[in-house]
Amino acid sequence: MPITRRRLLTAGGGLALAGATAAACGSNTGRGGGGSGGSLSHWYHQYGEPGTEQAVRRYAAAYKKTRISVQWRPGGNFDQQTAAALLSGSGPDVFEVNGPTLDQILGGQVVDLTDLLKDVKDDFQQAVLAPKTHDGRIWGIPQTVDTQLLYYRKSLLDKAGVRPPRTLDELVDAARRLTDRRTKGLFLGNDGGAGVLGATPLHAAGLSPVTADGKVGFDDPAAARTLAKIRKLYEDKALLLGAPADWSDPSAFVQGLTAMQWSGLWALPQITKALGDDVGVLPFPADGPAGKPAVPVGAYAAAVSARSDRKAEAKAYVRWLWVEQTGYQEDFALSYGLHLPARTSLARKADRLRQGPAAEASRFAAEHGHADPLLWTVASKVAYQDALSRIIKDGADPEGQLKAVVRTTEAELARVRKRS
Amino acid sequence: MTPSRKRSTENPAHDALARAGRALRLVLLIALAALFLIPFYLLLRNGLAAESDITAADWTFFPRELHWSNVRELFDDPDVPMAHALLNSTLIAVATTAGTLVLASLAGYGLARIPYRHANAVFYAILGTLMVPAAVTFVPSFVLVSSLGWVSTLRGLIVPTLFSAFACFVFRQYFLGFPRELEDAAQVDGLGYWRTYWRVVVPNSLPVFAAVGTIVFIGAWNAFLWPLVIGQDRDAWTVQVALSAFSTAQTVNLHELFVAAAVSIVPLLVVFLFLQRYIVAGVERSGIDD
Amino acid sequence: MPPAALRPLTSNTTRRQRNRTLWFWVFVGPFAVGLALFTYVPLGWSVFLSFFDAHNTVTPTDFTGFGNYRRILSDPEFRSSLTTFAVFTAIIVPATFALSLALALAVNRLRWAQAFFRSVFFLPTACSYVVAALVWKMSIFNGVRFGLANTVLGWFGAEPVAWLATTQPPWYWLVIGTVRLWLQTGFYMILFLAGLQRIPVRLYEAAALDGARPGWQTFRHITFPALRATSVAVALLLVINAFQAFDEFFNLLSDARGYPPYARPPLVYLYYTALGQGQDLGLGSAGAVVLALVIAVVTVVQARWSGLGRKEE
Repeated sequence: MPITRRRLLTAGGGLALAGATAAACGSNTGRGGGGSGGSLSHWYHQYGEPGTEQAVRRYAAAYKKTRISVQWRPGGNFDQQTAAALLSGSGPDVFEVNGPTLDQILGGQVVDLTDLLKDVKDDFQQAVLAPKTHDGRIWGIPQTVDTQLLYYRKSLLDKAGVRPPRTLDELVDAARRLTDRRTKGLFLGNDGGAGVLGATPLHAAGLSPVTADGKVGFDDPAAARTLAKIRKLYEDKALLLGAPADWSDPSAFVQGLTAMQWSGLWALPQITKALGDDVGVLPFPADGPAGKPAVPVGAYAAAVSARSDRKAEAKAYVRWLWVEQTGYQEDFALSYGLHLPARTSLARKADRLRQGPAAEASRFAAEHGHADPLLWTVASKVAYQDALSRIIKDGADPEGQLKAVVRTTEAELARVRKRS
Repeated sequence: MTPSRKRSTENPAHDALARAGRALRLVLLIALAALFLIPFYLLLRNGLAAESDITAADWTFFPRELHWSNVRELFDDPDVPMAHALLNSTLIAVATTAGTLVLASLAGYGLARIPYRHANAVFYAILGTLMVPAAVTFVPSFVLVSSLGWVSTLRGLIVPTLFSAFACFVFRQYFLGFPRELEDAAQVDGLGYWRTYWRVVVPNSLPVFAAVGTIVFIGAWNAFLWPLVIGQDRDAWTVQVALSAFSTAQTVNLHELFVAAAVSIVPLLVVFLFLQRYIVAGVERSGIDD
Repeated sequence: MPPAALRPLTSNTTRRQRNRTLWFWVFVGPFAVGLALFTYVPLGWSVFLSFFDAHNTVTPTDFTGFGNYRRILSDPEFRSSLTTFAVFTAIIVPATFALSLALALAVNRLRWAQAFFRSVFFLPTACSYVVAALVWKMSIFNGVRFGLANTVLGWFGAEPVAWLATTQPPWYWLVIGTVRLWLQTGFYMILFLAGLQRIPVRLYEAAALDGARPGWQTFRHITFPALRATSVAVALLLVINAFQAFDEFFNLLSDARGYPPYARPPLVYLYYTALGQGQDLGLGSAGAVVLALVIAVVTVVQARWSGLGRKEE
């Protein structure tokens, strides 16, 4: 059977060819993480706003001292991806992170960047710089400030005779009255709010997840009372659930599936383009006698991997881009979607933040902004988020659920105290 | 299909009942087939519609106007390199399939046919890995591959997936039932194991290779978690990763998402319809099922 | 090969044995080495990690003995993930088994268009969980008025249902179950078809002579017993695959903020809360080891019970 050998050779040849291709592709990806010289790798998570990727590539190309290779990472699990990659030498040199987390800092996975901010520390928005700081050292440089707020359709509220809600009770009431067969009253995300709201209702009740002196901040009956009202929204069938696009995307609001939506400031340009003036914004309304309005603020930060074997060059690049190049920082915050600049000097001169809903949003962030504290660890957050989801969807008893979270949080606080 | 199935009965009432039963069965089958085709219909409908058609208040069975431009828009999108991802997926799937077939069939043949004292122990060691979910050893695997410097390379995407215990198992079961006379004749002709294998066994086993190959090809094309983590560089994205890039973007563009999904399954459907005959024949002869 | 072992060993047979051993490893070696490197090394590494406090590191130094095992076994979330798996298996294994067998029987008896129907049911096997989950989540079972399921409900005047977000009643199982059913039924149908083709015609002829009526009686006494080997293999594969379930859960239910506290099978739980950003690798590895052991026990018990290993060779 002479044909057999030829077939075998073909198969072998195919393998060899594939191997060669693989080798070729392996060498031209331009990665420098392995210490092979060449470029530094800089990871971003995938931003939804058109033009962002081109912009960050442009900034990187403008840096002359070292070649930078920008990696644009898709997938909703960017944090998991970086966490896994940081365990090995082939991760990024520079990366943006929704953190760094306390465990990443304590585990020595990120580099101390305190000296980069020596002269400009006070120019950064303190609310978002604080969670990047541990023991007085700074571990990540805030890139922009992201904030979230409540969008509402003025016309729909007028039609239903509802005034913009100033308290949580008014919000529950408004959502119920705005709900009809075609339109829901409020969209808090497809999970009913557990994910996006996070600690915001606690702040609205005048509490916090972890206090400044490192104690559990929600061991208080007011917390259960507030969370039970979010359950009420769900029970009233006033919440939009299962929309194709989640809370971060204004589609549901723009398509008229909901009269109010909790979303990011980044969505504002799309919303005004679609709805013009027919939109108003509010903070999350206060609840109870000690309550006050609340909006979450947070920042993706630029961090340097401790695994990088070119830390000095990586730090120099981070200083250049996120400290010195205020022009790029301004462009990044304001030209693609809409974010608040991380630096007060830039925020003050931003025209786009001077009028309309954007001006209000930036005022909310300044007056009512709260960021998740560093001590609010991932394990605590997950336990809280699960409890919130059970309260909202299953009607679980808020007090019992919160008690369990208090225990988890106390255990976590004890663990990190021991570790640091 | 066989004469025996067409047993005739003398009782005409029974005959009519049987005919009614057959008709009912056919109707049920057609209904089920329609249900099974719905997702494909939705991929086409949403992929070729305008965004406003998809989100319209009233359901339209097919868009009034087919937007073939969606396909062009997809390949022109600078944010997602769909064409390159298709190429990557093809390279990976072809190489994985070829490599798996060679490695697993050799191992399966060795286990089935070459007497060795510890063959059973080796076999169970291989079989046991079927029970270890890949996601369980996910982080150590990643660290291992990255310490080899294979992150974002096609090597890293292909080599670790070449050792399929499932394929090895199927080949072993199949070779156990392979007619010994053919090999005996070859050995009488003075061929050793190696040449007997390539000249006699392989050419007589092509349906099994086709069956296993198709299953491996599908698995490689559809793999998601490993390529997501290993294919860090955009140049190493596969189709599935590119697809998830669409669906997790902050702004979801439904028509583009669906046209991308449709494009991603076209190559596989072609391979599939073309090779189906062999898969069925291969499964029948391979003993995958026993 | 008992006969060979009984023969007295001569230098000749020893040499032949050595020769065979060599050839055995030529055939099996490359595969075995690769498998060892890419499966057993990571597995061993996981076992190693499970005995350490390994937050954010894969080279830990803080030995904790069985501490991680105690923690994971007393973790109500982990235990509830095992319950989730049990529920999932109890839904999906019988459903796939019954549907694929029924389809195989029906398609097998068709006199025309057999290839067409076989193709239609087999076609979904070509789809990925990513694509299927996307169609299910965004188009069939989305919670708004333009989803297919809600459109159909709307014709009957019913309110839209938020399929994936409703826990009472747990509609999300409908979504999760149907994705997998759609994706895998065709493959098992093919296995059953192959089994049916192998049943000797004379069995049916003998049964007809004995007065067995075509239909249920024939199926019960002839067809199903003859499919025993296939049935066992299908059930085993279904259970193993159910244990490995990850893709459809992840693609249907996860969002940028994590994963809801329901419908969370073990792999998803481990991925998120231990191997994800929480990065408690010691705890995650302990969970992984427990899971692998559970799978091994279930598989072995199932195989023993159904007599898989006892098949004559």
